[in-house]
Amino acid sequence: MKADYDVVIVGSGPGGATTAKFASEAGLRVLLLDKKQELGAPVQCSGAVSRHALLENEVIISGEFIQEPIYGFAIYHSNGEKIKMDYRLLKPYEYGPEENKVPLGYVVDRRRFDRYLMTQAERQGTEVLLKAEAVDMYVENGKAVLKVRHYNDEMEIRCSVVVAADGLQSQVGKWAGLQTHIKFTELASCLQFVTDGVEADGLLEIITGHEWAPGGYAWVFPKGHGYTEIGLGVICSMTQRNAQQHLDYFLKKSFMKERFKNAKILEVQGGGVPLSHPLRTQYADNLILVGDAARQVNPITGGGIHTALTAGRIAGQFLAGHLQTSNDHSAQSMSQYQDLWMEANGKKMWELYEIKSKIFRMENIEERDLALYKTMSEYFSPNSPFKKI
Amino acid sequence: MAKSEPVLFSISWNACIQCGVCVAICPQEKSFISHFDTIAIDRPCDIACMICENICPVSAIHHTKVSSFIPSLQPEQA
Ligand SMILES: Cc1cc2nc3c(=O)[nH]c(=O)nc-3n(C[C@H](O)[C@H](O)[C@H](O)COP(=O)(O)OP(=O)(O)OC[C@H]3O[C@@H](n4cnc5c(N)ncnc54)[C@H](O)[C@@H]3O)c2cc1C
Ligand code: SF4
Repeated sequence: MKADYDVVIVGSGPGGATTAKFASEAGLRVLLLDKKQELGAPVQCSGAVSRHALLENEVIISGEFIQEPIYGFAIYHSNGEKIKMDYRLLKPYEYGPEENKVPLGYVVDRRRFDRYLMTQAERQGTEVLLKAEAVDMYVENGKAVLKVRHYNDEMEIRCSVVVAADGLQSQVGKWAGLQTHIKFTELASCLQFVTDGVEADGLLEIITGHEWAPGGYAWVFPKGHGYTEIGLGVICSMTQRNAQQHLDYFLKKSFMKERFKNAKILEVQGGGVPLSHPLRTQYADNLILVGDAARQVNPITGGGIHTALTAGRIAGQFLAGHLQTSNDHSAQSMSQYQDLWMEANGKKMWELYEIKSKIFRMENIEERDLALYKTMSEYFSPNSPFKKI
Repeated sequence: MAKSEPVLFSISWNACIQCGVCVAICPQEKSFISHFDTIAIDRPCDIACMICENICPVSAIHHTKVSSFIPSLQPEQA
């Protein structure tokens, strides 16, 4: 390990590993830390990501991480009515399983995907430390000092800029005094089962409706090898029951119950999705925040892989330009990262947040259910007015 | 509104799926985390807002009022 780095990245999820890859590619000395022993585990994600998201962020698509190719969506109203958007039928010349066609997206195995992204960064020169937990940070003489616990050792690592890519539970932003708190009304509590015995047909199925998932939605995603993932996320201020009870009710009582009757549970996973606006300030002296740590999650879909990859690319490219030309790493100079990010993604995310907030401010449940169903259907349609993020 | 009494949390480890939602929602300014990525269980929480309990997807979090560990603070038996 070197004594001094240009950039130290806390967290090797999609956001951190992508930042590392772009920063290393540009010749910076980069250290990537993760406290885990196996990236992506325990799984806290359904793994749906568009092909466009991967290509846009220069992720070379590999069988190493793909569980199932995806060809479209089925969006359900609370009462079972649905809109199916199968791109194999809508754009048959472009999307399909044939060799001259492509999928719309993939369900990825986060354990393999995160390891793959980390490997790509390592191959560009990033140093990686696993079992390395950042426990505190301070700034001294214009440099950031990160306190790290690596196995049984404690160490201090100096660098010009720290990138907080430490996910939903992010603490690094807190240490720098940033306002990172998520409202109880905006953090979805999620539970999902990987199951056998439930059929799926290459579509991401999204089930809206207060009865099934108040404040969020339920999903049925194909998971490869004939497996299917069934899950949901709820906003707990809108219900007296926990996500587990809602999932049980959805499996046993929803209009899909016949389809689920032979479901065998193979894995239990969960997590939190911030359906909030992105942090208003995503930087401090010698620090920038990327991905879930900056609450850069699509507030309509809850998707955060695409947004983390994009923020990672923007952060890596920004640092490459900045560190090669400047010794000023004050908050003011770091704010340029947020400007770049706002232009590329941020404005759209704020718009989506306004749309989502308007829906969930509706007090009449029927009206709210219909508004969410319509918005979701529009979001995924080929004629969508939304730019996909 | 009366200030909430400090509480000590405990986790039902068999139920916990290590999702980290409780840590993400915790309003404590300083890190209030256990070694298993849940909210801390080795020191009292003086905010006692209980939103970690409410948001846990599998209801794995429970609390005990700190006062109940101190005999002199317990209500007298009739
Ligand atoms: C149930 C569920 C389903 C989801 N499904 C989808 C989906 O289908 N599609 C989609 O796009 N998004 C989905 N998401 C959201 C997506 O998982 C996240 O938005 C995404 O993982 C964010 O990436 P990230 O790199 O910002 O953070 P993370 O992937 O959370 O990575 C953060 C990393 O930081 C490490 N870390 C944290 N603290 C420290 C520390 N102090 N020191 C060292 N390392 C640290 C962690 O170990 C972790 O590896 C889902 C989320 C949930 C909960
Ligand atoms: S919210 Fe519940 S399941 Fe998730 S880490 Fe905390 S105690 Fe465990």
